[in-house]
Amino acid sequence: MSIIQEKINAIAPDAVYVEAQYPTFTIPQDKMRQVARTLHDDADLSFDYLVCLTGVDEGPEKGLGVVYHLSSSTHNHWVVLKTFTTDRENPMLYTVSDIWKAAELNEREVYDYLGIRFIGHGDNRRLFLRQDFKGHPLRKDYDPSSNPLSLQCEDGQDTTVALVEDPVTGEVKEEQRVIFSPDEYVVNIGPQHPATHGVLHLRTSLDGEIIKKIDPICGYVHRGIEKLAESKTYPQQLSFTDRLDYLSAHMNRHALCNCIEKALGLEVSDRVKYIRTIMDELQRIDSHLLWVSSFYMDFGALTVFFYAFRDRELLLDILEGTTGGRLIQNYNTIGGVQADLASDFIPKVKEYIKYLPKAMEEYHAVFTGNVVAEARMKGIGLITREQAINFSLSGPSGRASGWANDVRKNDPYGAYDKVEFKQALRTGGDVYDRYMIRFDEILESIHIIEQLIDNIPEGDIQVKTKPIIRLPEGDYYSHVETARGDFGVYIESRGDKMPYRLKYRSTCLPPVSILDTVCRGHKIADLIAIGASLDYIVPEIDR
Amino acid sequence: MGVINYFKTLFGAIATLLTGLKTTITVFFRKKTTQCYPENRATLKIAERFRGTLTMPVVDGKTKCIGCGICQNACPNGTITVITRSVVNPETGKAKKELDRYIYDHGSCTYCQLCVNACPYDAIKFTPEFECAVFDRSKLVMQLNPVVETEEVKPNVEPENK
Amino acid sequence: MFDFSIVTSWIDSMLRGVMPAWAALTIEYVLIGVVILLVYALIALSLIYMERKVCGAFQCRLGPNRVGPMGIFQAVADMIKMLIKELIYIRNSDKFLFKLAPFIMITASVMAFGCLPFGRGLHVLDFNIGIFLLLSVSAVSIVGVLLAGWASNNKFSMIGAMRSGAQMISYELSLGISMLTMVMLAGTMSFSGIVEAQADGWFLFKGHIPALIAFIVYLIAGNAETNRGPFDLPEAESELTAGFHTEYSGLQFGFFYLAEYLNLFIVAGVAATVFLGGWMPLHIPGWEGFNAVMDYIPSVVWFFGKTYLMIFVLMWFKWTFPRLRVDQILTLEWKYLLPIGLFNLMLMAIIVIFGLHF
Repeated sequence: MSIIQEKINAIAPDAVYVEAQYPTFTIPQDKMRQVARTLHDDADLSFDYLVCLTGVDEGPEKGLGVVYHLSSSTHNHWVVLKTFTTDRENPMLYTVSDIWKAAELNEREVYDYLGIRFIGHGDNRRLFLRQDFKGHPLRKDYDPSSNPLSLQCEDGQDTTVALVEDPVTGEVKEEQRVIFSPDEYVVNIGPQHPATHGVLHLRTSLDGEIIKKIDPICGYVHRGIEKLAESKTYPQQLSFTDRLDYLSAHMNRHALCNCIEKALGLEVSDRVKYIRTIMDELQRIDSHLLWVSSFYMDFGALTVFFYAFRDRELLLDILEGTTGGRLIQNYNTIGGVQADLASDFIPKVKEYIKYLPKAMEEYHAVFTGNVVAEARMKGIGLITREQAINFSLSGPSGRASGWANDVRKNDPYGAYDKVEFKQALRTGGDVYDRYMIRFDEILESIHIIEQLIDNIPEGDIQVKTKPIIRLPEGDYYSHVETARGDFGVYIESRGDKMPYRLKYRSTCLPPVSILDTVCRGHKIADLIAIGASLDYIVPEIDR
Repeated sequence: MGVINYFKTLFGAIATLLTGLKTTITVFFRKKTTQCYPENRATLKIAERFRGTLTMPVVDGKTKCIGCGICQNACPNGTITVITRSVVNPETGKAKKELDRYIYDHGSCTYCQLCVNACPYDAIKFTPEFECAVFDRSKLVMQLNPVVETEEVKPNVEPENK
Repeated sequence: MFDFSIVTSWIDSMLRGVMPAWAALTIEYVLIGVVILLVYALIALSLIYMERKVCGAFQCRLGPNRVGPMGIFQAVADMIKMLIKELIYIRNSDKFLFKLAPFIMITASVMAFGCLPFGRGLHVLDFNIGIFLLLSVSAVSIVGVLLAGWASNNKFSMIGAMRSGAQMISYELSLGISMLTMVMLAGTMSFSGIVEAQADGWFLFKGHIPALIAFIVYLIAGNAETNRGPFDLPEAESELTAGFHTEYSGLQFGFFYLAEYLNLFIVAGVAATVFLGGWMPLHIPGWEGFNAVMDYIPSVVWFFGKTYLMIFVLMWFKWTFPRLRVDQILTLEWKYLLPIGLFNLMLMAIIVIFGLHF
């Protein structure tokens, strides 16, 4: 019996244990909070990183529930918790948002999709869908015809409902909470705003130039990909991943392919692993270059913006030659890659990785060293390591706060176990470190590509798969390091050719949830700088 | 000390500004990277694998498509409609399914290449043709197989796959 | 060197010959007004085109190249577009002030424009406190910005206007002090007097160290006055979408746009006049032959040449530096530019008293 099992059994003796990909426990809902608290606080366990929070509808018998994927930043071990409620009329579960702040928006998402309300959660509003949406789309008994297209404009909400449990009687009561009082100066930054990089809507309360509170409103590019996924076959899922975080198109697909291959027990050839890894790293460079240029644009330094775009364009040409796409790559397939490398791919990549570091010197000369830029970046938007972990702020943004969370290191996939590289780490946690860490990562990516590019082994580029792919029954989770962090795919299969539930762990939701905490007390211009440094891609938030 | 620091930061700041100015002015005189499309059409290189538009190659007036509809099933968003007809072979008297029309809605294609991957006969492929802009959306709905005027046999429209 | 006052006085005497003095004056006023507005519009168009081309070149692009050869008609096409666009008024905005604001902006910049000496004898207003007049009329544009932000009934506009109020009023100080420094060297406030004083060498060289400092301070402050990058906080695109002119459309926006570019021209023109000798050719004492050759180049060419060079420098700044934050912009002014400017004023006083200048 493992230590995790022991400790959980001590609190909840009726917890059901299943040995799966990760140790999985089904915990009765009334014990959930206690278990979560122990898992988080216990020094031997210290599950301080809430990786993924998924709402599921397991049908009438098991009911509606939530699946928690937990990991630890110190021990690097995993556990999966599940908890269910059979009440379909008024389902309620206990919140864990006070233990892991990352759960705050995720629980709102679960409420939105499945209608589960969380006791103790201060904000029970929908996250993505309209507030006047009827029903909850991810419930299996949801009727799409109940929501005809509404063209009514939606006003921002100034109040919300919190569910509070009376500590004595155990009665759950609704409580009105004020988000913005009527005399606050609330500015709508977005959904149409040059600096939100898409259609994110930040309702920002100001005191002069100083930010008092931010209320992010998501869902303007919500396409219901997770709902859609339930009616598409596995190969068809592939066409959606590239459209989540379009700058990490390749890595997203890598995660999904990994997950399906793991479920099927497919072993791809080394050649495919190498090619996927090289492509991942090229895509990472591409993504960071685009990020850095938009970062410059937000600082009003338009000239460097074009420098970065100039260099990115060269990379896109290389990618296009092999994958046939510039932004949407469509390159990974289940069991392989779409096509072999183009004949001129290797020399071109070599030439490019030689060129790029020199080109980056120009950005540093114009922007990084500039006194104005430095003054605007240094010491702004501090995120401590604890905050980063608590908010699940993975990826470069988390690593800039000193949290070593690189999936490539912690849970190697592809050919990452065959190369030598360091995960970029900085400890400042301010905008400047989040900015510089991307450059460290680009250099590290170049270093990885250098090691792989000459040693691509021969082999098949596509493993034969059945014409109709059915995953064996079970839960599968797979994650990769995209340019923005820990991107995960959770598939619950019932042996069908379509997934029962498919969840994409968003890399960009944590940066949005942390915005309010970080930005308070800063100026509007800093909000833009912090937002730029956190690097969110809105279609990935909304999915 | 305060005064010295004041001037140190001042001159340090000016130095960083000058570095930036120097870099931008060198770029000012450098060759520009703009590509003058459409003037450069003759020299424009589009990668062979670029997915511009779906085509059905015709060899000797015939396509390889047999109208099996696998591509239609593979497509995630209903871009392809395969319409078949049954043709009676005059010699054997047996009816055989045959492609009548292959309708491709370019407007909703996401270029995911699943249809091409699914096709067992390599009847369809993507070409790098990218200048597909039209003034009317209906023009984006194309018939990929050659249009034949003879309409003797009544087409047997397959029910849309759900 | 050709003196334009020959032409103007010839027209004057001709008009007075055929009509009474008041009629002649009226005709002259109208004539000058028309000419000024025409030149104003032409310069603005040329600047818009120049800005696009220059910024394109800085950014490894070609810039406009579709409308006409090298895209020279791009600015004209944009002007036509702007003229035919609908004027949109926002509900609950203060209509009167909303309409008034662009006119204040444009009037302030036209008035300031009229103060500039374009060439020898080519001067609309030349009287003994020319610089003072220029500074005061150009300061009126702050009112336009504030009104635009206030009347728009838009929170972004409001923040933009407040920022520009803080910024422009602060930088007005440095602008004035650096001008004052040069006035001290010239001993006169009239533009023609300042230009004449530079016949034997431009003030930038004559006044050496303090003049150079004043020049730099002037460029920074002037850039901030025109609300251009890196001091474009009032419109800070990535923060406030378009700042104080978010709600303006069509011609009203065009007025702001024109005024912005003309303010750039005015700032550059004043810099050229006060520091680089205005329309005065480059004269090096002792090199008679060289000076004679320089004199062959018309004074208007000298003035515009210097001004456009200064404009290029300002554009170079704009397209290199990132935008400052509002507190940094004020720190820069109050902690750096203003003390330096004041110190410089003293230095100049010492130099003038002891005759240490060239």
